[in-house]
Amino acid sequence: MKYIAIALIVLLAACTWAACSKSVPVDEDGLLITTRRDCFVSSFELLGTDYVSVRSGAATIDTTAQTVKVTVLFGSDLKHLYPQFSLAQDCKLNPKITGFVDFSDTLNPKKWTVISGDRQVKKEYSVILSVQHR
Amino acid sequence: MQYRSKYIGYAALLLGVLSLFAASCKKDGYALPKPSDKLQNEAIKRTLGPNIVGQPIEFAYAMAILPSKGKLVSCTAEASIAGAAGTYMDNRSYYTDVTGTDVGVTVGSPSVTSGATTTVTYTADTSAATLRYFYVIPEEARGKSVTIKFTAKSSNGETISTTMGPYTITRMDMRLNMKLSNKNMMYISIGDSTVYDSAGAAAHAGNIDLVYLYRNLTTSAFNHALVAPAADTTYLPGVLLPPGVNRTAKLLKVFNLQDHNLAPTEQYGGTFIDDVDFQKLDLTGDPNYAINLKQGAGVWVETADGKYRAYIYFNAVATAGTATVSMKRYTLTNGK
Repeated sequence: MKYIAIALIVLLAACTWAACSKSVPVDEDGLLITTRRDCFVSSFELLGTDYVSVRSGAATIDTTAQTVKVTVLFGSDLKHLYPQFSLAQDCKLNPKITGFVDFSDTLNPKKWTVISGDRQVKKEYSVILSVQHR
Repeated sequence: MQYRSKYIGYAALLLGVLSLFAASCKKDGYALPKPSDKLQNEAIKRTLGPNIVGQPIEFAYAMAILPSKGKLVSCTAEASIAGAAGTYMDNRSYYTDVTGTDVGVTVGSPSVTSGATTTVTYTADTSAATLRYFYVIPEEARGKSVTIKFTAKSSNGETISTTMGPYTITRMDMRLNMKLSNKNMMYISIGDSTVYDSAGAAAHAGNIDLVYLYRNLTTSAFNHALVAPAADTTYLPGVLLPPGVNRTAKLLKVFNLQDHNLAPTEQYGGTFIDDVDFQKLDLTGDPNYAINLKQGAGVWVETADGKYRAYIYFNAVATAGTATVSMKRYTLTNGK
């Protein structure tokens, strides 16, 4: 009888430990790592210092060439633009966008890497800016 | 015997619980507060936002004494720095009617201001009143603190006072509803807080910081713009600057920053721009132009000599090439 009680306690402890252990993987940002392998930019926005869009038209996203081409309004302050990416489900972006970005060096496009939900696929996108003529 | 004992135990427990409930629900006795038989007073500041030179700060000062003890004789407000012209105390005591409208009842003679002191002498036989005091902030108070001491006197010889403040008076100033027009009143001097036409700009060439222009282009959204005279000529299409108008500036375009002082009628204008906003403003690397401005847009500006920072808000624009703007301006001292 005594041994059965001990065995039950051990079993209960094992079950409790199993219930508390995490089985879902998260990455270094605390984001869920999933099984999705999709890895692309689905849409792109660019805001000015007034947080109003400075695009003169829709951004052209080429998922094969991994480029985002966007024409901004004449007179936009290229040193202070706020890019916003929409990504495939569970993807994340590197480096993170934390504020305004300087796009004034149009000969050297800014680059961001899209990382898939399973964190195994990485694709580097170039954001190529052109300025609308007056 | 054993069952009886258990029954008594349960009954006692039940009684105890019921007693606990009854005790917890019992209301404490309430007695009407006994009014003080002394002259009493209370003051509030009714104005919100920064205290700007030339603008009034409104207070409501309430005073009362038991009718059996006496009536009110006079009310005085004494400012630590004398108010500017227009400072007064309303000689009416207000109540709010059923429609929510403030209705004033005259209780005293019109206020008399002598130096920093404003007084209303009661003419009505009243033992309670609330008077409103409007202190217009004088130039001497800029950047300093102001306190207001309210004093009430009653017919039985009692005097009571309360002091409000200190209130910090801003260093910034304000200019409302400046009219701009394309090809005419288009030269803005932040230092002078004025808009000039071409002749005026030529006469004050060294003070012109911005050029207002409106261009309805089919190829780009230019529309209403503020551009520093030294900006690339591509941002000044068709503008022939008066001789000597060549200063630059730093500009930062924003939208929907509806300062309540500059745009008091805007629905979402619950924001106040204060000195600290100008002190923290960093326009490093910002351009010397801002185009495609609309109603509700604003532009932060720093002049070329680093002497002024300003926020210019577009109250209204018209496609005829006109705009109404309001400005808050902060004078920098040693870069701050």
